Order: sequence, then C-alpha cells, then structure tokens
Amino acid sequence: MKIKTCVSAIALTTGLALGTAQASEWTLEKAAEPYAGTIVDVVFLLRPGYEAAEAMLPDFEARTGIKVNIVKHPYENALGQQVLDFVADGDFDIALIDLVWIGNFAENDWIVPVSKFTSNPDLADPELDMDDFFPLVLNAFGGWNGEVYGLPFDNYSGLMFYNDCMLKDAGFDGPPKTWSELKDVYGPALTKDGKYAFALQSKRNETQSADSFARMLWPFGGSFLDEDFRSNLLSKESQAGLNFRQDLMQYMPDGIVSYDHAETVNAFAQGDVAMITEWSAFYSSLKNPETSKVVDCMKIAPEPMGPAGRKPALGGFSLAVASQADEDEQAAAWLFIQWVTSKANALEYLERGGVPARRSVYAQDGIAEKFDFVPALVESWQDGVPEFRPRFAEWPEITEIVQEWGTKIMLGDVTTEEGARILGERMEAVLEEAGYYSGDKPLAQ
Amino acid sequence: MPATTSRSTIFAFLGPAVISLAVIGIVPLLYAFYTSLYFFNLTKLKNARFIWFENYGSVLTDPVFWEAMGRTFRLLLISLPLQIALGLVIALVLHRPGLGFLRVLTRLSLVLPMATTYAVVGLLGQVMFNQKFGVVNQLIGFLGVEPVNWIGDPFNAFAMIIFLDVWQWTPFVALVLLAGLTTVPGEVEEAARLETKNWWTILRHVQLPFLMPGLVAILILRTADTLKLFDMVFTLTRGGPGSSTELISLMIQRVGFRAFDQGVASAQAIILLIITIILAQLYIKLLYKEV
Repeated sequence: MKIKTCVSAIALTTGLALGTAQASEWTLEKAAEPYAGTIVDVVFLLRPGYEAAEAMLPDFEARTGIKVNIVKHPYENALGQQVLDFVADGDFDIALIDLVWIGNFAENDWIVPVSKFTSNPDLADPELDMDDFFPLVLNAFGGWNGEVYGLPFDNYSGLMFYNDCMLKDAGFDGPPKTWSELKDVYGPALTKDGKYAFALQSKRNETQSADSFARMLWPFGGSFLDEDFRSNLLSKESQAGLNFRQDLMQYMPDGIVSYDHAETVNAFAQGDVAMITEWSAFYSSLKNPETSKVVDCMKIAPEPMGPAGRKPALGGFSLAVASQADEDEQAAAWLFIQWVTSKANALEYLERGGVPARRSVYAQDGIAEKFDFVPALVESWQDGVPEFRPRFAEWPEITEIVQEWGTKIMLGDVTTEEGARILGERMEAVLEEAGYYSGDKPLAQ
Repeated sequence: MPATTSRSTIFAFLGPAVISLAVIGIVPLLYAFYTSLYFFNLTKLKNARFIWFENYGSVLTDPVFWEAMGRTFRLLLISLPLQIALGLVIALVLHRPGLGFLRVLTRLSLVLPMATTYAVVGLLGQVMFNQKFGVVNQLIGFLGVEPVNWIGDPFNAFAMIIFLDVWQWTPFVALVLLAGLTTVPGEVEEAARLETKNWWTILRHVQLPFLMPGLVAILILRTADTLKLFDMVFTLTRGGPGSSTELISLMIQRVGFRAFDQGVASAQAIILLIITIILAQLYIKLLYKEV
C-alpha cells in the first residue's frame, strides 16, 4: 500500500511539475482540441449540486466542443445503474462515486487513477492544485488504498440546521452543543403543540445506514468494526449510541422510520421541527423562500458533540474516469472532471447551489458571511471520520443488513443489543466470505 | 379447408409465436436457472464460480426469505377474498336488469383503476396517505379522527397496501364475473327465478357453475400478480417501515440489484416460480370444471 502511495505521489508530483513548466501554454481549449465532438456519458443525481454543474455546462461545451451527456437518476438507482453499465461494458465514461462505493469501483477496476492524467502534461491543468482540496474529503471521497481515483464533486458534511426563532421562543440563546443537551434540555422544551424538537431521517435505505445508524455510533465512541474487522456493535460505546437514538425518538415526529431526506427537510422547512442534522447539500433548498418558510429563522451549526467528540456525518461524491471508456473518451472525461471541480469554477459552483471541496474558495472574503453554512462545514471537515461508513467493496451488502436491523431496532421489534448482535453476525459473515479473516484481503475500509 | 395441413404452413403460423415465447420467456428463465447455480455477485465477478445448489440451500434456510414469503401470502389471503367478494357483489348488481346508462357508466369507471400503472398507484398512495398533507387524513379529520400515521407504522402500511391492491383489482374481478354471468342462459335463469326468490340459491346452483371458469382464471392471475407485486409497494413504502411491507418480489430485487447477488436472487426467483406453478395447478385441479 505504501509503495502504491509513493508511486502515485511521484506520478502526481511529476505531472504537476511538468504541468507547471507548461503553465503559460496550457489552456482548456487547446487541451480539448483533439477531443472536440467526443461525447462523454455521466450519471447525475437529482440534487442541487448537479443542477449547479448542469447550469455551468454550456460554457465547458462551448470552449471544448466536448459534449457531456447527463443521465439523471435518483440516488437510490445510481449505484445499480452504474454497476450494470460497468459489468456490461456499457456507455458511462465517468463514474459518479459515493464515498462508500469507492472501494467497490476501484477493486473492480472500473475506474482509472487520476495519476494517468495528471502525469500527462497535455491533459493536466497546471492550476489543478490537488492540495487545495480538503485532505479529508479528497481522501475519503476519491481515494482508495493509497491511490486517488476521483476528484471531490458533490461534497457533504452533516450540519445542524436549527430554527432560531423556535429556539428563542423556548428560551434558548443558541443550539445545543452536545447530543445529551439536545435530548435532555432542548427535547422536552421544544416538543409541544404538534411541533417536535428534532427529526432524524431514518428511512430504510442508505439514509438509515448513513444518516441515522452511523450518526449515532461515532460521537459516542462506537464504530461498525474493531481493528480486527470484527463487529464492534456490541461494545459499550456503540450500544450507548444506539440506545441514545432510541431515547431521542420521543422528541421526533411519529413515523420517523419512514422519513427520508425530503420529509425531514420539508418538516424543518415548514417549521414543524426545530432542529435537523442534514447534509450541507440541502442548504440551498432550505434557503430558498419558494421551498422554505423558515428562511429568516434558519441558522446553521456543526453537529452536536458526543462523549467521543463531534465526529459528524461524512458523505459526498467524487467523479472518476471510467476504465471502460476509450482513450479519447477518457481524456475528454478527465478534462470535464478537472474543469468542474477546479479552483477557478468553485465560486460559481457555490453560488449556483453546489458545495465545492476547494479550501481556497472558502477562504475568500465575504464567503462565510454570504453562505452561512461555511464556517460549520469547514469545521466539520476537520473533525470527520473517513470510515464513517466503511468504504470497502462489501458495503452494498452490509448496508442492506444495517438498513434492515437498524430499522427493526428503531421500531422496537428487537432490542438494541439483540439487533446489534444479529447485525454483527451477518456483517461478519459477509466479511468472512470476502476473505478478510483468512488474510486474502487487507483490512482496509 | 384442406384435410391435411403441410408442416411448413403449421410452422409459418405457429413459429413466430413459439419463437417469440422462447426468446422472451424461456431463454431468460433458463439463464436465471443457470445463474442460480453460480456464486454470481455483480461486484465480485472475479470470484464467480459454479456452486451447484448452494444458493437454493441458503435461500431455503434463510428466515428472512420465509418472512417475506409469509408476508406475501398474508397479502394474498386477505386481499384476494376481499376482491372476489366485492367483485361478485358489483357483478351481481350490474347484472340486474334495468340499470341502463348507469351500467355503462359503471363499467367504464371500473376500467380506470386497472388502467392505472402500479407505480402510479403507489405514488398516489404516498400523496393521499401522507400523515400531514394527505387527503385521507383530511377526510377522517372531518369526522373528528386524529391524523393516522399510515406510511410510518408497520401495521398501517401493510393495511394500506391491501387497500390499494383491493381498490385496483376488484374492478377486474367484477368485470370477469360479470362476463361469466352473461353466459348463463336467460331461460335457465328466468326459470330459476320463478322457482325461488332466494338469491343465494340462484347464485349457488344456477350462476356459480358458469362463473367457475372465470373464477379459476381470476385465482390464477391474481395469485401470480400478488406473488410478484412489486412496483406499487416499491414506490409506496419501499418495503418499510422495517420489513413490514417487504414482499418476496421486493426482497428479490433488493438482493439482486442492491446487494448485487444475482445468484441468490435467481434462486429466490426460481423458487417463487415453482410455488406459483404449483398453486396454479392446484386451482385448476380442485376448482376447474367444464360447464
């Protein structure tokens, strides 16, 4: 793994060094000349960051002559559609990778390391500046086993959105600092007259695994796996987190297990819920008067801390070049990825509703004032855990188990202990089959 | 018409249908069976290998599979009798003479639920049964009933699926049974009505024999449809909350396209197919009689 990292770093540095020498000559138009007319296919989600990129796209197409064909899917279909396409040697030239898919895509050789392009001075933008990406985000969203495959594109951190007016009416000066404070102090005070203190999106899909289950493990010191890759869900810390979630449900709307992002964001936007912990990507819709009644009352803070620290939810997507694309398509795909995630475009992407992972854009004057989620976001990206959800190839199987038993625990069908025991046994069976315990696979997550 | 027909003529008429059936129906089925004998996970194709009937073993001993199967049969055993009972009532009412234009209007409106796509029914259900904004809670609110958590409560979510399935497919049952009632010879029915005023006696001894072929068709079609019911439930509850509405078809889709284990999903699908065929044969053997 270390050798790979070294080679990758050398390739990257060489590429950038070569690029720097040609900085004065390199332009996007010139780099794209050989690929004019090439069509690249990519999956986009139905989310604000993708609408932002789509709105910026005409500029790229006019400058390069490269046509970007966007295939839109809801999140739940995006993995399945891409897997089927890659298995069948299909059309996608760019892979859209949720951070938990990176191990899967990389181990199946469906994506190409960025070093292939950054080492090519004809394709590498001298202004690429990989160090400008938040290291946690670049590593978690685009890196696997010491190699960088994707550049962070649609970037999230869990944030606390709170209704300051409701909090003030209840006598609070600011949001809770800790999860315990949220439950024990804010919960009883804000849950009344058909309104609720908090909503935790917990629908039985990736939302249950990422937004609900994992969110309550890490701040309490728990985790999915211990260092030997055995289940850690029965540890005192993991159990404390899961039991906390059960207790907290009394301050959430009925049927919270059927709440996905849309229902949760909507409940907050309608003023029915005082606080939610949601992805930064929903900022633009909550700030839009057409979709939110609480624009003037909404404030944002980092997620509350648990006994083990903040450990906020971490999620997001990178874009990587697909290995099934031919050489011209790969080059054209890289030029698009490099352009859409570039430092130069970060401000426009942000202003159009996207969330870039470029440090430089958040350091600009006035950005923190204009986009009030920025300070909390930047703080969260310092405290995040890359393996918030394990990123190995087995995650699609394991998340199904987490979704099933996580929901059963919430519904009270099983106790947290019994649910965690069964979940752990099934999780270990998947890892056993994959070869982690026999030493066939490195314990990388 | 000639006494004998040449082989080429027979093939010309039957060939396209047989070939289409083979390509569309049998080849994928054979491929599913072939896949079910392999460890075949789309994200681990490097590990694909022939494992004989291991997938069948793991499916048949998996409690989650049997829970989903039990849920599916619970839906079948509740919704199908309801559909037949309500459909029969509607058919008998429409069969009465003297309804005129009302009968035409009712027949036309009966087609509407059937013509609605399953997925749209699920989406409609999501809107109608929304706890906060749904029209159902608004209606029961007029009666002073507190808003019901339809989608987020395991029991209510299952009841909602039964309701929507009954709503969508009772008209189909009604129309098939109505068609059956029109095959009862008029003079026989008239003679029976002169003999007795008891509607049950007429139904039991005169009309029912003519309804049986349609009823068997309904049982076979609706059983197969219910066992593979997917779209409506997927768009409405996605199998939740928890596993409360995860029918067998949703489980197969989850295993095959979310966990990507095509081998196990194929084995589950083959087992489901065998169960459906056995049920269809049972219906025919026990109930079907030529009038």
